[in-house]
Amino acid sequence: MRYFLQKLGFYAVALWAALTINFVIPRLMPGDPVDIMLSKLATKGPVSPATREAVEALLGADSSASWWQQYVDYLHALVTGDLGTSVAYFPAGVGEIIGQTLPWTVGLIGLSTVLSFVIGVGLGTFAGWKRGSWLDNLIPFTTMLQSVPYFWLALLLLFLFGSVWSVFPLNGGYDVWTYAGPELSWGFVGSVIQHGALPALTIVISSIGGWMLGMRNMMVSTLSEDYIVTAEAKGLRPARIRMAYAARNAVLPSVSGFAISLGFVVAGSIVTEAVFSYPGVGSALLMAVNSNDYALMQGVFLVITLSVLGANLIVDLLYGLIDPRTRART
Amino acid sequence: MFLHTLSRSTRAVTATAALAAATLALSACGGGGGGGSTGGGDGSITIFNGATGTITENFNPFSTTALQPTLGVIFEPLYYYNLAADVDPEPLLATDFSWNDDGTQLTITTRDDVTWSDGEPFTAEDVAFTFNLIQQTPALNTGGIAATAEATDDTTAVLTFPETSFMQEPQVLGNQAIVPEHIWKDVADPTTEVNSDPVGTGAFAVKSFSAQSYVLESNPDYWGGEPKLKQVRYVSLDNADAASASLVAGDVDWMSAFLPGLEDIIKGNQDISYVNTPALTTVMVACANADLGCEGPQTDPAVRQAIYHALNRDQLNNLAGGGFAAPASPTMLLPDRDKKWIADPDQVSIPQAADTDTAAQILDDAGWTAGSDGIRSKDGQRLSLTIQTVTGWSDYISLNDAMTQQLADVGIELKPSQVSWNEWSAAQTGGTFQLSLDSIGLGASSNPYFVYNKFYATDNTVPVGESASAGNASRFSDPTVDAALETARSTSDEAVQQEAYAQIQSVITEQFPYIPIYTNSMLTEFNTSRATGWPTAEDTYAMPASWKSWDNGQVLKTITPVG
Repeated sequence: MRYFLQKLGFYAVALWAALTINFVIPRLMPGDPVDIMLSKLATKGPVSPATREAVEALLGADSSASWWQQYVDYLHALVTGDLGTSVAYFPAGVGEIIGQTLPWTVGLIGLSTVLSFVIGVGLGTFAGWKRGSWLDNLIPFTTMLQSVPYFWLALLLLFLFGSVWSVFPLNGGYDVWTYAGPELSWGFVGSVIQHGALPALTIVISSIGGWMLGMRNMMVSTLSEDYIVTAEAKGLRPARIRMAYAARNAVLPSVSGFAISLGFVVAGSIVTEAVFSYPGVGSALLMAVNSNDYALMQGVFLVITLSVLGANLIVDLLYGLIDPRTRART
Repeated sequence: MFLHTLSRSTRAVTATAALAAATLALSACGGGGGGGSTGGGDGSITIFNGATGTITENFNPFSTTALQPTLGVIFEPLYYYNLAADVDPEPLLATDFSWNDDGTQLTITTRDDVTWSDGEPFTAEDVAFTFNLIQQTPALNTGGIAATAEATDDTTAVLTFPETSFMQEPQVLGNQAIVPEHIWKDVADPTTEVNSDPVGTGAFAVKSFSAQSYVLESNPDYWGGEPKLKQVRYVSLDNADAASASLVAGDVDWMSAFLPGLEDIIKGNQDISYVNTPALTTVMVACANADLGCEGPQTDPAVRQAIYHALNRDQLNNLAGGGFAAPASPTMLLPDRDKKWIADPDQVSIPQAADTDTAAQILDDAGWTAGSDGIRSKDGQRLSLTIQTVTGWSDYISLNDAMTQQLADVGIELKPSQVSWNEWSAAQTGGTFQLSLDSIGLGASSNPYFVYNKFYATDNTVPVGESASAGNASRFSDPTVDAALETARSTSDEAVQQEAYAQIQSVITEQFPYIPIYTNSMLTEFNTSRATGWPTAEDTYAMPASWKSWDNGQVLKTITPVG
């Protein structure tokens, strides 16, 4: 119980620290939202001194309030679930923007992270089980793909499969020429899958190497353990030794790695979404940074913070399930 | 400009220009892909206007973040001001207007055969309501319109200003969408209204909306006759590479972006054409006024003059402008469109070759003497200047590199720095810079008042450290210019205005608080297999840029779908 409370206390402090940093960092960036909005207006037409007053009135004058006051307001708004109004997408609320973009990111990046973990760990298991087989030769190749800069790989695949062979669409989350908006139909789902396939493929290709290498090496060292020899001596089926004895123990470090990468699903999507014009949280964050949209930035960071902490919490609990040793320690 | 900015800034995030060019060239050879586009013959086109990421619904014509077709396509102003040509404003919702002698009262005659898209008739009451709403709601008044309005009959609206306001004319007539009183009088908060089912007088109305694209359809009851184009789709793409790939694949029919290797794309794909309408002058903004706190050698007018003369603009155009840039005028007006406003025929356009002798002579006379490393100095101060531009604006970065070499020839050291857009903008409005690359132009109308007032008036500047968001980032201040602006503002007589502008021109071509480089290209690409009748270089009936608000409406009701 004490261990549980300690954990919970740690997560609470981490959350508070993250929220505070989240509050401070956007305010240290150069430029303020009123000026940014004015500069953008000025590129479209004349801006008079009255414009400044208008924009200030529009955004509310709270940029002149003291930092402490802003900080209290910020925490109070968070507790009440009010994420504020976006400047970049004015007058839409931050909650609305995140609600619109988050499903796309979680769907695409989340699924491909799970997919690359499952495939990578699966291949790694077999590569470690049968050392020196053809699967082993796959490892240097996949590690090489992982070390290639992601955006370059993505652009290359987009160029080949999108432009040259026209196998996959070039951009977007679904076929906007056919569907007026998201709808519940097989055609639409198909379109979403078709549009998500290439970005997902690039993520899987570029991250599979790490999972595979890690799992393979853990398998190799686990296979030299005494209990494996015992299991073999007992005459258990090889498949059972492989999965229940070797893989189950070897997968532990990968699971903690998986927790971290799950947490970064939201944060890691910026480049993917930029290359494929995918309508997710990453492009909203990019837009927010470009417009000094504090509220939207804070909203997205909040989602990132929550997902990192949440994923870690879940894995902490999950660990207890797959590794009985952690359960024993009370 | 917004699109230009975006596409340039995101270019850096995604790719090297080389790969983009290769993508384009190869896919063009492949016969244009085919992509996911349907259409051709269904009377619809697709526009990329620079929207990136998620699109949020906002058809409120008063909002600064309204979706671009809100202005001009769905809602209309009283007149259309074409900034691409030297022409009179074209009447839209108004048919006539007149000022009283002292410029405090503007009488507008409105069109009498117009209906709103919900069937209600449009009257002068709507015009009066719109301007009164703005006057009563400071947060809506981004144009700074101070008029109170009254409809004296169904087709006459009278606007009364507190002071002489001839120069409000383009803002009032051409830059303000008119909204229906019967709907907006019930809007609780017009500043945050998203107006999701907009009722306008424009040639198109909203058909459907989603966060990734939205569709407008033609208005059958449009007063100018139903447009031939039946449907317009606006899409969101995250960057210039995606946009150019979509153009080549035939998914996008109209966009404006600087595409590397544009000539190769045209060669490989006969359906794609482009038009170049340079309208914005690329300048080095100099923080020029030491009295207001500017620091550095650029506060010496001789240094700015020397830079002006030392630039080889032909070379700059070839190295950085892709050969698409046009000569600028030292008067900061547009050489073609604004000829009648430029007093000295020699100042219509800048000589394109460098005049290093003159530049060196100016610096010698001002006491800047060459040091051992070739860089001049005066009173212990090295003639070394920092110039800032935005990371990822590749053409401006090349411009800086080329200018560094050119200016070194006359003993000026130029040190380029690249910063984020926010930082660049903050430094420029705050005055914490020496030189800054920017583009200026496109006022409310082609009257030079708007450029001169915004960039040169003392009223529009503040000391370094405060935000000069009104426009005069150079902190330039000159009594002759201020007096001439006052003269121009208080008359509608063009001859008097011309004389005032001549005085301004003689000051600014001596002082150069903004050093003109060239009139930057504004490239717009079309797919002519889907629609014809686009603006051309010969017939600029509207500014062709796909992001230009009011002009969009003119183009969309003019073009004809093919098939």
